[in-house]
Order: sequence, then structure tokens, then C-alpha cells
Amino acid sequence: MNQETKIKLTYRVAVVSGIFCGVVALLLLLNFWHMKQHEPLESATIKALVSRLAEEPNNDELKQEIRSFDLLARKAYFTSRWQIKTGTYLLLFGGILLAISLKIYTDLRARIGQPEEITEELLKARANAQYWLLLTGGLVLGLALTAAYLSNDFLKEYQQMAVNEVPAEVSSDVEVIEVFPSEQQASKTDPVQETEPSTPLTTEGQPGTQEAVSIEQSVSESAQPVSESAQPVSASIVYGIEDFKKNHSTFRGYLGQGVSFHKNIPVQWNGTSGENIKWKVAFSRPGYNSPVIWGDKLFISGGDSQARVVACYNRHTGQLLWESEVKDIPGSPASPPRVTDDTGLAAPTMSVDGHRVYAIFATGDIIAFDLEGKKVWGRNLGVPNNHYGHSSSLLVWENRVVVQYDTNTKGRMLALSTVTGETLWDVDRSVHISWASPTLIELDGKMQVVTSSDPYVSGYDLETGAELWKVEAMMGEVAPSIAFDDGVVFATNEYARLIAVKPEPGAGFIWEDDEYLAEVASPVAYKGLLYIATSYGVLVCYDAKTGEKYWEKEFNEGFYSSPMIADGNLYIIDMGGITHILKADKTGTIIGEPELGEGGFALPAFADGVIYLRGTEHLYCIGE
Amino acid sequence: MIKKIPTRIFVFFLFLVMVGNFMQAQQRFPKPEFETGYVQPSPTTPEPRSIALEYFDVAVLLAVLSLASWLAIRKRSRRGLLWISIFSLVYFGFYRDGCICSIGAIQNVALSIFDPTYAISITALLFFLLPLLFALFFGRTFCAAACPLGAIQDLLVIHPISLPSWIRKTLGFIPVIYLGLAVLLAATGSDFIICRYDPFVGIFRMDGPFLMIFLGITFLLLGMFYARPYCRVFCPYGVLLSWMSKFSKWHMTITPSACIKCKLCKDSCPFDTIEKPVEQEYRIPEVSRKNLRRFILYIGLIPLLTLLGGWIGSRSHIYLSRVHPDVYLAELIITNPELKEDEANLDIQAFLEAGKSFEQLVEEAVVIRSKFKKGGWALGGFIGLVLGITLMNQVVFRRREDYEPHKGDCFSCGRCMDYCPVERPLRGK
Repeated sequence: MNQETKIKLTYRVAVVSGIFCGVVALLLLLNFWHMKQHEPLESATIKALVSRLAEEPNNDELKQEIRSFDLLARKAYFTSRWQIKTGTYLLLFGGILLAISLKIYTDLRARIGQPEEITEELLKARANAQYWLLLTGGLVLGLALTAAYLSNDFLKEYQQMAVNEVPAEVSSDVEVIEVFPSEQQASKTDPVQETEPSTPLTTEGQPGTQEAVSIEQSVSESAQPVSESAQPVSASIVYGIEDFKKNHSTFRGYLGQGVSFHKNIPVQWNGTSGENIKWKVAFSRPGYNSPVIWGDKLFISGGDSQARVVACYNRHTGQLLWESEVKDIPGSPASPPRVTDDTGLAAPTMSVDGHRVYAIFATGDIIAFDLEGKKVWGRNLGVPNNHYGHSSSLLVWENRVVVQYDTNTKGRMLALSTVTGETLWDVDRSVHISWASPTLIELDGKMQVVTSSDPYVSGYDLETGAELWKVEAMMGEVAPSIAFDDGVVFATNEYARLIAVKPEPGAGFIWEDDEYLAEVASPVAYKGLLYIATSYGVLVCYDAKTGEKYWEKEFNEGFYSSPMIADGNLYIIDMGGITHILKADKTGTIIGEPELGEGGFALPAFADGVIYLRGTEHLYCIGE
Repeated sequence: MIKKIPTRIFVFFLFLVMVGNFMQAQQRFPKPEFETGYVQPSPTTPEPRSIALEYFDVAVLLAVLSLASWLAIRKRSRRGLLWISIFSLVYFGFYRDGCICSIGAIQNVALSIFDPTYAISITALLFFLLPLLFALFFGRTFCAAACPLGAIQDLLVIHPISLPSWIRKTLGFIPVIYLGLAVLLAATGSDFIICRYDPFVGIFRMDGPFLMIFLGITFLLLGMFYARPYCRVFCPYGVLLSWMSKFSKWHMTITPSACIKCKLCKDSCPFDTIEKPVEQEYRIPEVSRKNLRRFILYIGLIPLLTLLGGWIGSRSHIYLSRVHPDVYLAELIITNPELKEDEANLDIQAFLEAGKSFEQLVEEAVVIRSKFKKGGWALGGFIGLVLGITLMNQVVFRRREDYEPHKGDCFSCGRCMDYCPVERPLRGK
């Protein structure tokens, strides 16, 4: 084959392979266009049939028709995929042939020609290169500098904003919107001056006995290094377990387990019409914390960027007895930390023990007032590094205020003296930040504090803070506290799991489940049944021993508030303010769904014959 | 006109290949919603290989480099180099999916130096070191025959044009910036941009994001007229190879014996790397004095440019650091807090579900940004230093009697050897 023939041959091969590539590519484009016009997986026919099926769920013929169409659509889709794939390979093959033939063609046609005169003068070329290099270098550096000056450091701004936010003028005015019906007209009054704790429910107990759980001790000033204004308190009244059972004194009631012992709790009311509403008052500062009760007094806290307050009401009349501002606490930040609106600065529920009421805020301030509103002690635990805001509630037992203080900086749990606020124990925990609250459980006559965090559910000795057991079970942002019943601890969190575990070292899960998981609401266990409330509005009942699901009920609004058991019924308020009342049994029969007329996030507080609910705007006393 | 038809057909074909790949990307089957913990495999990262096969890859690289060096320097065979490069294209490119490659290994090395928690594999380290070692002794034989990225471009050189040297010098500054950026981003754990923007890996794998395919096709089209554009204008590894090759002990030569200054080789090189003899007139006193003054000026400028570059680099740390996903995410949430509620924003939703707090994210982002501040000094200083040295080199004239390949820029492809009329009779042609 001579040179000329080779050139002709390669030229023709190049042309033919080029045309082949063009045809294949055109077919591919047509296929692509066709697929775009009639996407088989987006078939309108199938969609129409599926929507018909929603109306006729038992139409087997329709189901069969949908299946046939679906099969057809998938066949069309995968055939098209095959065509594209095959076409691409054909295109590649044609392309390679084209490249080779072109290459040979150009090589065959190449001739060694007369060398061109090199016209580029070296000195000039070098001078040009210097000029352009300087220009390019200058341009690059100049652009970089301009971009640098145009860039805002949002991270720095964010951090500075968090530190420098200056609080506005403090105002502590409280307006009572309305009170009805009342024996005494509610009005803003000076703090009630009482010398004795307001405790009609007091029972006798002896120090040192099992019944005596709250013991006042004489304290000398020198023994109170962290107590700013603590006054020596003489041993006076001792409150026993029965007192704590009779007073809704902490988050989720007695021991924080979500079970109330009060009777005759109302099941019907209407916050808008006033049906069964004994009184309702507006509170001065917002807060998601739940009311706590001791005797005749009911306490809530509130806070915004201007001030944090603790308010005390006469629980029978709604009269504001006192409202004290949280101030003059050493180490308290000049401005509150940045928190999200759905947590706020006063999310943790207070705790009361008959002598004092204890409150903690997202600023890290923890404070104790006596029941007359006089500050006893206050300290700052360090501003919690918490991106939503601190929300773990306090727990008081045996002269100890237990604080779960898991932040982004570190996990920590403390017990402070109820009398002076001094640290009795402070343990570091190898857990991530959490928003759950500590719960007390009694095992073998000893009290344990049980917490749920990422990754551990753990138990601590109330007396010493020693870790007694832990189990790796949780993950994510843990907000639900644990439930306890019949020697078994239950813990859950969204994106993690629901577990039942024996509170002892090395214990494995008794059972676990991940179908329904709570995001915020804590579970409650009662008489062998476990109840879970999800933030998407599903309430589920499990057999506490086996994990078998008895029922699930879906509601329109989700739950941030936790379920409570009272008078044999389960009470839970949804985010829309509807309280769902169900029989706390395997049937879950709905007893009532009274409306509050405003959103609800807090838990109800119970007393005999009444229920106290905190809505987003008002505090309600409900009783028949 | 008729003569240009094949070229035009070829351009059309490449365009259609690009469209074809784009269509493939659009037609991906919807990702199923698995609830079993199944992890969707990444389409851009090939399956891991067994250790033995990884070592085999190293052995293949070593063999290819050795053979290429022998063919370039001793055997002086362009054809041999061509076949070896085709083998490398098939093996390292299409069979090994373009990974691991020596160019990308720069990032593994950088990360392993600055992140004590990252352990570089011996394979990656050898892929990084071996070509440099060979370049130090034999020139850039890696570029000639072992690099699949170079090979795919080399095969499609149809009608290369020559650019003025000032454009080449200016374009040659781009790989330096790219290298600096790639090392900075790898060292801070931000991104492996060399891999992300590797233009040919999508072609090797017959799959990839649209941008990757688009870049690949663009480079191939461009490469028909401006030979090996990626190697000459972007390849960060080429910068290192060039430095090594400048000191190469046994670099390939155009002619096996005395150069007859026929100038034929100058036309043969599609990469403009053959330098003509430097004549005596550049050494006349006036020119020399002027060059000397400039030389002293540039010597003085080097530390100044280094410092200025470093300072500007450090000032640039804010926007540079935004390449890091954590910094990007933290600033995105700060500037658009409402996006936290946006379920379609997968970055934010993934972060929220991971359980890490926002404050933690911000703190981590601040730490990363401070790393970029230090890294910015290094990057800017490096760019300033290279700029200063490149300028200085423009006023240095080394005496050269013959036509010689530029030791730093020459890919040792051997085309010039075939053109050399001194060579041809020796081979019996």
C-alpha cells in the first residue's frame, strides 16, 4: 500500500467513524429528549391510580393495574438506561477509531518542512516575561487582598455578639390579667411575710430515719464558702416522703418519675370559655418550666434578656405572693447567653423542699429563695456552653440540689447543699451535651440519681456522686429523661433507640426498640406499662417487661411536654394546648381532650382535685 | 476546507461525548431510601484494593518508570515511550480508574505531615516519591510514559501551536498557585481539590459529575492545538517534577552526538521546551550590566515578595477557610439561621442529626480558620518566593551552544529524537 492509498484510507476511516459517532450521538440525544418528555418514573397515570387507591384501599383490581403500569414504567426506564449505556460505548469505540485514523492521517501527511526562522528575540522575550509575571503576580496578590478586605469574619462576629449583648433596663412589673372566680381579688401585693414555712401538708418524721429525707442543719457562716447570703438556719421542720408525695415539688413530680399520687383530677375544662378554670394569670416573663408546688404555694420561673425571676402564687387564688429577681450573683454574665426561642432562658423546672425553692437558668445562675421570696444563696456554675439553652431541671432530695450540667464543654453533675449552695460533690462525666433532667430511683433502700445523655444512661450515688453503673445506649441531642418502674430503667431519644435496662453494672438491654422515639418528651412507666410521646404527635404504650406494643395513637400536634400519670389516667398536653387524657392501661381509652386555648409545653402540676397548667401566656388552675 | 473535515468531525464527536456523559448524569436512577443502614457507595471513589494489589501497582509504576527512563536515555525510542504511555493510560487510567496517582498523592503527603491522626499508606507515599526520584536522575520520564493524564492528552495532539515564551512563563505560574492551594487545603483537612477537579478521572471511570466530564473534554479539545494543556498550565505535581528534573543527572538529549543546529527539533516539540543556543551578543557589557542591575533588584525583591505574599495570604484566611465544610456550614447557619428548618438542606440536616452542637461547630470552625491564617502565610510566602525566583531567572543567561531541551519543562516524550537528522542515520533511517 503506497503513501497516497494509506492517506486516502485513513481519511475515509476517519470520515466514516465520524459519521458513525454523529449518528450514535444523535440517537443518544433523541433518546435523552424523549426521556425528558416522558419520564416513565413520573407517570401521571400511575400517580392518578395511586391517588385513587387512597380512596379505595381495598380495590385489588386497582392494585393490580398499578403494579402493571409500574412494571411497564420500570421496563421503559431500564431499557432507556441500556440504550444510553450501549450508545455511550459505541460512541467511545467510534471515537477511538476516529482518533487513531486522524492521528495516522495527520502523521502521514506531515512533512519535514523548511525550519522556520526563529523570530522571537530572546532579550525582548525575557523582558516581556518579566513584565507579565509581575503583572500576573500583582494581579493575583491584589485580588487576594481585595477579597480579604471584602470578607466578613462571621464566626468572630457571632462569638462577639454572644459575649457583648447588653441587657436592657430591668423591669419587674407583673400584670395579673384576670383571676376568676376568686375568694380574694388578685392584686399585686408585697411579698407575704410569713415566718413559718407555708406547709399545711407537713408530717412528722425523725432525723435519721428512712422517712426523713429533708433535714435542716445548723450551719455556721465560716462553713459556707460559696454561700453569698446564706443565713444560718436552725433545725426545725423535717419533711418526709409523704410530704414529697403530697407536694408536686419537682419536675415530673415525686422523684421526677412522672407519677402523681393525687386524686380527683379534673378531666374536662376549656381555657377559652372558662369552663372549670378556677383562675388564670399572666406571668411576667416567659419560660418553659413547669409549676412546682409546696403547700399553698405554687412557683414558676421566667426570664428574658432583661431579667430572670422566680414567682410565687397562692395556688388557691392565683394571687401573686411575691416575685423575686435573680440578681447579685457573683460570676453571673453581664448579658445572658444566646439561646433559641424554643428553649429560652428559663426552661429548667424549679424544685422546692418546703424550706426553699431552687431555680436555675440558662445563664448558669442557680439560686435559692426561702418560701417568702428572700434570697438564701446564689451562685453561678459557669455560663453553660449550650447552643439551645440549658434546660435540665433541678432535683432536690436529702439536703442536696442535684444539677445535671452537661454542656458542649464537658459533661458534669453536681450536688449542692440546699442550705448554703456549697458543692457537696461534682463529678465529670464522659458524655456529650444533654438537655435531660436527673431522676431519682430507689434501689435497695438507697437513692440513685439516674441520667440520660449521649452516649451513657448512668446511675450515681446521691450521697457521694460515685458512678454506680452506666450503659452505652443513647446518641444525638438527648432531651428525654428516663422512666423507672419495677426495678427497670427506660431511656429513649430520637435517632437513638428505646431501651429497658436493669440499673446495675454490666447489665445488657432487657429489650430495645426503635420504632417510636421521643425527641423531647420524657417517657413514663406505670404499673407495667411504658408510655412514649413523640414530637410528631404519636403516643405509644408498651409492655414495660417485654417491649410489646399495646397501642399507638396519633394526634394532630406533637408533644414537647411529657406524659404524667395521675388518678389512674395519663395526662399529656400537646403543642397546640390540647391535653389528652387517656386511661393508663392497655386500652388507652381516651377520656377527654380539653383545650387550653393556647400552646402548651410545660408539664401539669397536680394537687388534690386540681391541675395546674402553664400555657405559653398564662398559668391556669383547673378544678371542678 | 475538505482537509479540515476530519478535525471538525472529531471536535463534534467530543462535544457529543460530553453531551452523552451529561445525559448519563441526569438519568441516574433515583436513590432509594434505605432504612437498613446501607451506605450508598460513592461513585467517585473506586473500591479499595487488597494490600498485595496495591504493592503490585507500585511495582508496575517502578517498572514503567525504569523502562521509560531506559527508553528515553539509553534506547532513545520514541515509539517505545509511546507504547509504554498507552499501557499506563490503560492500566493506571482505565483499569485503575485513575486512582491512585502521583499527582493526587501530593495531598495525602501534605495531610499526613500536618494531621498526626492521618496515616499515609506506603503506596501513596511511594507513588509520590518514585517519580520525583526518577526525575532527579533521569528527568520527567514519569510525564513521558507513566502518567495516564499526560498520556491521554499526548495521544490527541493533532496540530500543536507554539505560544510566545512570555505567555508560557506567565501560564507556568498557575501550577505554582494550584500546588500551594492544594497543599494548604489538604493540610487543613478541607478538601482534595486535585482529585475533585481532576479533569480526566471521569473519562477513565466512564462516569462522574458533569463538571468533571466537561473539564476533561475541554482539556482534550484544547489539547489538540495546545499540547498537554493540563500538564503545562495546571499540573501541581509538574511543579515538583520540574524542580527535580532541573537537577537531573542523566536527562535525555535531542541528539546522540554533536548538534548540527538544523533547528528541526525546535519544530518537533509540541510543548515548546526546546531552547535555542544563547549567543554571545547577550553577553555584551551593556546588556550584562543591565541584567546585573535587574538581577540585584530581583534578589532584593525575593524576601520582600515572600513577606508581602505571606501577609496577603494570611489576610486571605477568612475566605480561603470557607472551603472547609465545617467553616462553610458554621457561617451558613450564622448568616441564614432559618436554614436550620430547611429539610432540603442536607448539609445542615446531616449536621443536626449528628448530635454535634452548634457552639461546638463554631469553635471547631474558629480553630480551622486559625490554621488557615498560618497556612495563608505559608501559601502567600510560597507564591511570592516562586514569583521572585522566576523573575530573577529571567535575567540569568546561561551559555548554550546547542539546541537543548529545557530540563525542567521537557516531558522526555522523545519526539525530538525522531526528528534529529543526526539520529536518523545512526538508526539506519
